[in-house]
Amino acid sequence: MTTMMDRSASAPGQAAGKRPLIERLNIVTALVLGTVSAVVVWQLALRFLPETPETSLFFNREDKISLLSLIGWFVGFMTGIGALIGPFRWALGKDLNHDENMFLAGKDQGIKRYFRYTTDHKVVGIQYLVITIIILFVGGTLAMLIRTNLGHAQGGWIQPQTYNAIVGWHGIIMIVATIIMITGPFGNFIMPIMIGARDMAFPRLNALSFWLIVAAVPPVFISFFTGGITTGWSAYNPLASQAGLGMNGYIAFICIFAISTMVAGANITTTVVKMRAKGMTWNRTPIFIYGVVASVALALPAFPVFFLSQIMSGMDRAFATSFYNTAGGGSGWLYENLFWIMGHPEVYVILIPSVAALMEMAPVFTRRPLFSFNLAVMGIAGISGLSVLVWAHHMYISGWAPLLNAPFMLTTELISIPTGMLFLVLIGTLWRGRLWMTMPTASIYALLWNFMIGGITGIYLSDVPADAFLHGSMYVTAHFHYTLMGAGLTGALASLVFWFPKMTGRMFNKTLSWVSFWLVQIGFNVTFIGMFLVGLAGQPRRVESYAEVFSRGNLITTMGAYTIMAGMLVLLHGVISSWRSGVKAPMNPWQAKTLEWTVPNPVPLENFETLPVVTSDAYGYGKAKS
Amino acid sequence: MSVETHGHSNPHHEHPDVVGSRNRLGVILILVADIAMALSVLFVFFYLKGQNVNDMWLPAATEDSPAVFALSSKGTWYVTVLAGLGAAAHFYGLKGARAKNATQLVLGGGVALVFSIAALVYQFIQVSGAPFTTTSGAYASCYFLIAGLNTLHLVLTVFIALGNWNRSRLGIYAADHWHVDIVNVWWIWMTVSSLLGAFALSFA
Repeated sequence: MTTMMDRSASAPGQAAGKRPLIERLNIVTALVLGTVSAVVVWQLALRFLPETPETSLFFNREDKISLLSLIGWFVGFMTGIGALIGPFRWALGKDLNHDENMFLAGKDQGIKRYFRYTTDHKVVGIQYLVITIIILFVGGTLAMLIRTNLGHAQGGWIQPQTYNAIVGWHGIIMIVATIIMITGPFGNFIMPIMIGARDMAFPRLNALSFWLIVAAVPPVFISFFTGGITTGWSAYNPLASQAGLGMNGYIAFICIFAISTMVAGANITTTVVKMRAKGMTWNRTPIFIYGVVASVALALPAFPVFFLSQIMSGMDRAFATSFYNTAGGGSGWLYENLFWIMGHPEVYVILIPSVAALMEMAPVFTRRPLFSFNLAVMGIAGISGLSVLVWAHHMYISGWAPLLNAPFMLTTELISIPTGMLFLVLIGTLWRGRLWMTMPTASIYALLWNFMIGGITGIYLSDVPADAFLHGSMYVTAHFHYTLMGAGLTGALASLVFWFPKMTGRMFNKTLSWVSFWLVQIGFNVTFIGMFLVGLAGQPRRVESYAEVFSRGNLITTMGAYTIMAGMLVLLHGVISSWRSGVKAPMNPWQAKTLEWTVPNPVPLENFETLPVVTSDAYGYGKAKS
Repeated sequence: MSVETHGHSNPHHEHPDVVGSRNRLGVILILVADIAMALSVLFVFFYLKGQNVNDMWLPAATEDSPAVFALSSKGTWYVTVLAGLGAAAHFYGLKGARAKNATQLVLGGGVALVFSIAALVYQFIQVSGAPFTTTSGAYASCYFLIAGLNTLHLVLTVFIALGNWNRSRLGIYAADHWHVDIVNVWWIWMTVSSLLGAFALSFA
């Protein structure tokens, strides 16, 4: 293995044989420096922070120490991975030279580049794919613990407080995994090639957005051993202010993740706006690109609000401020507003790219143009626009501003219109198409089915009188799983199989993709239809035991969950075995017409020998027949 | 998608204006996130002030603690003025860069750096001298939140102004000055953000 760097030339002043700093930093230095920083800050805080007065209601000193240690971890980790080199070199007036940029791009470094602050978008895409799989695996394991406990009416084998922590942990981990599952792997690896660019607009920010997520994961994992996230993923205040030290891990996790999301949003949007190939007008830009941009553009203003809500939560815990504490003039409704101003757009941050990915695949596997490209764009824009006006439908029952219930009911129900447009586009594209039945094709049908159920049940929940009955029940849990998992994850799994050949150079094992598909989809519907039934019958969510009358529905749900688990394990086996020893993929196995299929496998460092000039749209599969 | 492959043949040497335009958009988009957060801070301030839950926006005196009074907003306006002067000095330097006047660029950047440090120090003195603590009710909480956000902005500004001045001094902007343009965008937003905070605190 060699590198491009001529060390004596690129690192003037370095002693002979001593590698420049930029080459010495990697995940090991990051972990070491992060851990050392956290321990040093912890010890200093223990020694120098004054004792909390006895009159204090909560654990302010411990919270201060815990939060400071997590900040120490974060700063140490980011320094250790090399994230600060660029800004400091800029300030010193010593910009990175060509060789150093090539080193950062991972040129000729083999597998080591995946463990460094590598800027090549393809490396970042693979890194995102792997971390998404890991997070989904952990979140899925927690889901199985929940369902196993609920397989029996008395629950019992998990302590109630531990059960609450598992539910909160599962919730936040899965939310984060589903947020990054499309825009992370495919938005990074595929999107720049799809628009005819050599890389992202800001390669270093791209690496930053990934390594921020890596830095965010340990705090949330550690939280499990310091009391857990016992509030559920929404971490409502003042409940969160009164929870154990584990909440600090949640706060750190969300704050770091929000920065990552903001950075990624700015980067992806700039790349698409400024770096599309010559001739790729907006009418010729693939629909997947619209989905990715809509997702990150929604996240860009939404996540800072979430970030702020957690900063204030941390201040309430560590400094006894009164943002959410009514005794000091704060308000729990303030938290709910801030949380859901992020929380509802976040649903579409997850959904839109998944649906857009399937809209991208539909023409490929039906050999027809996308049915009404403009309608698809309008649908995405309509959902994005309306999604910021619906947040208070989560708060009907909270008693906040009852006079606003009707307007929020209206805006929420209006969102069915642009959603219907996306359905129409997918159905119109499938209609009388010459179907090439692959796992991604079947996923389009699965999405239509699941999203239809998720959407229709959502209309009931947006209706104030119905919500008064259904709020806080398992019906709600089933509803959002139908949207986020039934629609969102289905699109992501189809994307994995569809773009696997380009990302790995190997075909995904066809048999395993089908076995996994059917197990997951059948298991999913069994699980959550069972959950709808017990929810309608009145079973509340977030309980570790329940009345005997709900036993049958819960048993069915648990059996469905085990089927999903089997399907996901088959998929994981498919990923590993296909990646290691799958059939080598041709350049364009699906005979698709977007630009990523015009580059060879493995994709060269700069993607294109010469940048392409686009002369038509990506859906020229012949004239559509009605 | 039909393509031709005889497009741009020299990918490694983009025109500085193209790179500058791309960077400018990226910074503006990151600022969108910061703007969303700053507006959320204002929302928090006016929401809690409007609600005045349990009459604890500005708590009255009790046996254990004295009454909390809102601080005069003069101090926060002074910080804003210092930030504004820094922005003006940076703009003066930018005009120098546009006119290829290196001395003016270095001078403007240097003065901007001094103002950013002055604003940061003044902000710190103001916060440390506040006659209440974080536990003194909703107004005090909001005060420290706004001051904290402004302090964070000022710390970033000092770093950026220092880098900008140093690079100007080293003559890096002789060929193109899009970095200086982008730093100007940051200065403008930072001043506006400080102004928003001062505006809110004037209505305590």
